[in-house]
Amino acid sequence: MTQAAATAGSDAQPGPAIRVRELRKDFGPVTALQGIDLEVAPGELTVLLGLSGSGKSTLLRCLNGLNPITAGEATVLGQPVHGMTSREMRKLRSRIGFIFQHFNLVGRLTCLENVLIGASGRIPGPRYGILSYSRAQRREALTHLSRVGLGQHAFQRADSLSGGQQQRVAIARALMQKPELILADEPVASLDPENAANVMDLLFQICLENKITVLCTLHQVDLAMHWAHRIVGLRDGEKVLDSTTATLSREDVLNVYRQLQPEAAPDGTTA
Amino acid sequence: MKTAIKSAAEPAPIPGNQARASTNDALRPPFSREKAVLWVALAAIAGLTVLSARQIDVDLRALGGGFDDVANLLARMLPPELDDPPRVGELLVETLMMALLGTVLATFISIPLAFLAASNTTPHPAVHHAARMIITMCRAIPDLVFAVLFVRALGIGVLPGILALGLHSVGMMAKLFADAIEQIDEGPREAVRATGAGRLAELVSAVLPQVTPAWIGTFIYRVDINLRTSVVLGFVGAGGIGFALQDALRGLMYQSAMGIILIILLIIAAMEYLASGLRRTLLDPASDGAALPAMPGPSLRPPWTKGRTIRGLCAAATVTAVVVSVIYLNIDPLAPIKQFPDLVSVFGRLMPPSVEGVQNALLKAVGETLAIGLVATAAGAAAAIPVGILAARNVSPSVYTYHSARAVILAVRAIPELILAVIFVAAIGLGPMAGAMALGVGTIGFLGKLVADSVEEIPGGPLEAVRAAGGSWWDVLFAAVIPQTLPQLTGHWLYMLDVNIRTSTVLGIVGAGGIGFLLMESVRTLNFDIAGSIILIIFFIVFAIERLSAWIRRLFR
Repeated sequence: MTQAAATAGSDAQPGPAIRVRELRKDFGPVTALQGIDLEVAPGELTVLLGLSGSGKSTLLRCLNGLNPITAGEATVLGQPVHGMTSREMRKLRSRIGFIFQHFNLVGRLTCLENVLIGASGRIPGPRYGILSYSRAQRREALTHLSRVGLGQHAFQRADSLSGGQQQRVAIARALMQKPELILADEPVASLDPENAANVMDLLFQICLENKITVLCTLHQVDLAMHWAHRIVGLRDGEKVLDSTTATLSREDVLNVYRQLQPEAAPDGTTA
Repeated sequence: MKTAIKSAAEPAPIPGNQARASTNDALRPPFSREKAVLWVALAAIAGLTVLSARQIDVDLRALGGGFDDVANLLARMLPPELDDPPRVGELLVETLMMALLGTVLATFISIPLAFLAASNTTPHPAVHHAARMIITMCRAIPDLVFAVLFVRALGIGVLPGILALGLHSVGMMAKLFADAIEQIDEGPREAVRATGAGRLAELVSAVLPQVTPAWIGTFIYRVDINLRTSVVLGFVGAGGIGFALQDALRGLMYQSAMGIILIILLIIAAMEYLASGLRRTLLDPASDGAALPAMPGPSLRPPWTKGRTIRGLCAAATVTAVVVSVIYLNIDPLAPIKQFPDLVSVFGRLMPPSVEGVQNALLKAVGETLAIGLVATAAGAAAAIPVGILAARNVSPSVYTYHSARAVILAVRAIPELILAVIFVAAIGLGPMAGAMALGVGTIGFLGKLVADSVEEIPGGPLEAVRAAGGSWWDVLFAAVIPQTLPQLTGHWLYMLDVNIRTSTVLGIVGAGGIGFLLMESVRTLNFDIAGSIILIIFFIVFAIERLSAWIRRLFR
């Protein structure tokens, strides 16, 4: 493992896309994550499962520096995320697409402008208004918007779309970054089941086609088992499951959601 | 299970060739009428601002020189002095009492007016419109204009000041009172009506309890505003510390003027602090505590919770202060009735208005008033918006920047515009330039706070999304902050324009340009018919600006 760490720094490709060692995150007196080890290979599609408050979102936000980590190390796309300058951090973030539970679109702007915001990490200077972006950039954004099936809504205000459509705009915004990795934080938790399935299928299909690595938190066990190469379970800030999907039964996965681990139930203190 | 998901996956929309179908036109936003109207409005405002700047002879060198002059003046004002502290103290007490009594008077007028003006409690739609009209008129006539007229009718003293504050405050208080009534939950009213209660009982037991928190908030806010006005009422002879300030400036005793100004700032800052503290404690629903101490048995007396104790003490303190003020200021509550003939003779002679022989001067003064307001709002906003953004906790780049920007806003806000105008007039001489600079500086405090507060209210998600895409602080600002807050920025700017034009109608009282000078002159020379037409003009300017800004705000959402 230490040899892998040495090689990971030199070139991004051969090493894992995400490598986390003994990660710990505290919010004041509260410990959100501790002792997390995780490795995600390039192109792999990993789903994080766990109850609300188990630390899934915190883990994702640590990986792109939205939350600074307290202890341990996290290396993403060959870059250690701790101790970076803000310029290096922005460079790394521009390579990572992030999908939010509440989409985080600017409601008053058109869909196309929202997609163009995805390019803000790689184009110089702040932009204001559609016409401040070059034609090539606009064309590229329109392609991504069409890919998620919303090309005809390019000039509609983002807040006039349904939830499922808004999340698809957010996916197009992430694609605009030309990401090597997508971190998705409960992307369908605020959608109805049918829309949720559609959006997840779209996201995973695009990522598989483009060989984008994905780390996604979900509550839908069936969707996870259908798409994920690997499933990781968190409970109370600790990893309780990490296995390829093929070797898992639905029962194993649902265990993650039990308040107490069946075998740990008697002493109970670890839960 | 897996097959079920497969079938759900099939209709997933992944059309691949829509991008090809889209022509080049699809890369440009479609033309929309609203956008066009907006751009025209923006261009018109920009053009008018440039014209206005010409009209009042703004040039940038003069501006630089102006600030030099102010610096010189400030140097002559140091160190501040305080002569005759007992008299200043007495005037200060008088000022505070005027602000309190003016607001109390306005409250007494506003409560019945609000019930008549609220669409859900008004006895008749015609009454509703009439009441709203009266409220608008009170707002459209500046307090200092009322003060000038009352001083003429009742003589120099605090009573004209209290009446002026009271009448003008009705414009804001009755409107906010009525708005609060219109927002109540109708359920409790129906329940009271269902018991067979009469109309008055219905209003008192179902409406009043729902609106009192909002009304108390409005009252405290208005006392704060009225204190800022009551410190300058003395300029027109309506009592308070403004007398002493004007004496000192007339006598070129700049050091004692500075002493008085510092005391004014101190008392205003103290009042703002007190007001925000009172709002927090009085309007805090938690202070009634869900967790009451268990009572030994059924009781017919409500327990003295923290909230009830505080409310009781505040009410007692207010009543005491009002009684003490009335006695101390030696006010005869019946004076307005006894001197009714004087009031009628002044207000009656305003009608019919006339512009005999002063048409040209009037036209010029109106142009100047509008120009001062527009230039001050445009120039002030150029400073106020950046300061406001830096003073927003969620956007400010560092804690240090946040606190410095908030400090700038607080410091400027504590200085009433007319005091700024007095300083600028003393520094660079009489004329509209002094007025424009005073209002411009004032805008930084007023608009800066509005901008900062509305930026703090925008949803944080989109900001985080830009950061997560690798965007810098500037990217966040332009991609997420400005687009989300643009409607509020526009609204605040127009409101500021409204406020600045209203203030610029009275700047003439201290010689800082605009129509106020003509008003003072015509009242002084007893040309009441001309004063009448000037008041009508001010009323229509303020009214038109209010309509215009409401219209633009509706367009821009």
